[in-house]
Amino acid sequence: MIDFDQLDKTIHEKSRLSIMTLLATRGEWAFQELKAELGMSDGNLITHLRTLGTAGYVQESRDDSGTRPRTTYTVTPAGTKAFKSYVDVLEAIVKTINPG
Amino acid sequence: MSTKQDALEHLRVIRSLMEKAHIYRAISAPAALLGGLLAVVCAGYTGWQMQQKGGLPETMGVLFLWQWLGILVVSSSVNVILLAREAARRGQPLVSEGMRMALRAIFPPLLVGGVLGCGLIVYLQNHILATLLWVVCYGLALLATASFSPRSLVRLGWVFVALGLALFWAYAANSDIRNMPHDDAPANLIMGLTFGLCHIGYAAAVFCSQKPEAVTQRE
Repeated sequence: MIDFDQLDKTIHEKSRLSIMTLLATRGEWAFQELKAELGMSDGNLITHLRTLGTAGYVQESRDDSGTRPRTTYTVTPAGTKAFKSYVDVLEAIVKTINPG
Repeated sequence: MSTKQDALEHLRVIRSLMEKAHIYRAISAPAALLGGLLAVVCAGYTGWQMQQKGGLPETMGVLFLWQWLGILVVSSSVNVILLAREAARRGQPLVSEGMRMALRAIFPPLLVGGVLGCGLIVYLQNHILATLLWVVCYGLALLATASFSPRSLVRLGWVFVALGLALFWAYAANSDIRNMPHDDAPANLIMGLTFGLCHIGYAAAVFCSQKPEAVTQRE
């Protein structure tokens, strides 16, 4: 029997799940690229990135060397582990309810 | 929404975003290096012949086409072998979704460039225009993969397109080149400059990159 409490609530929110998926799939994303890919507003994206950052799943780095500052985000090892566990639990839920 | 539907919906979101974020490097750097070196050697031989004879070497005719098709076949074969090894290392099939996407993207411009370029050589004996067409179409093929290619390949695409257009402009504006008895030698030099040096530069950039674009882990 699946314990649904195993689902990480931080990742379970759809916007944060989308961010985690992109970051876990490709190593590094600039803020503007994430925004364009997900179609989110600046404020909304920042809020979710902060939540993920506070959980220790996402790391922010800022590059001020160019003409315009560039903020990029990467997933941390803890984030990768949490994301993998989350997907495993999802798959287990689907398999349990619809075996075979 | 039931728990199962909820889980399925989240898995669907994950899958669709992973496909979007997918990166695929269609050209292996060692294969690009090999192709580049072969092209430079071939073009260099033509240059050496010009120097020895103090002018244009003898016309090659359709042999020009076979020579460059040979280099294409060798480089492409090595590229496929290296991609297959990389796929095997990751435990994935060679013809992955990434490769399918790449083939779908590059096929139209390569088909156009290949057919028109070969036609220009075989029937119109215009080697320079054929090579310029190959250069531009190859660049467009690389740019067609921009949404899932590493940046280095997209930059290479732009370099090919820019060089192809600039060289076309130079050719069109220069009647001395257009009125040469035959144009095999300048065409060979264009191939060496573009397919040769640009591929060597691309391979060097990939090898020297401190943060390699990790196709592989995402592919």
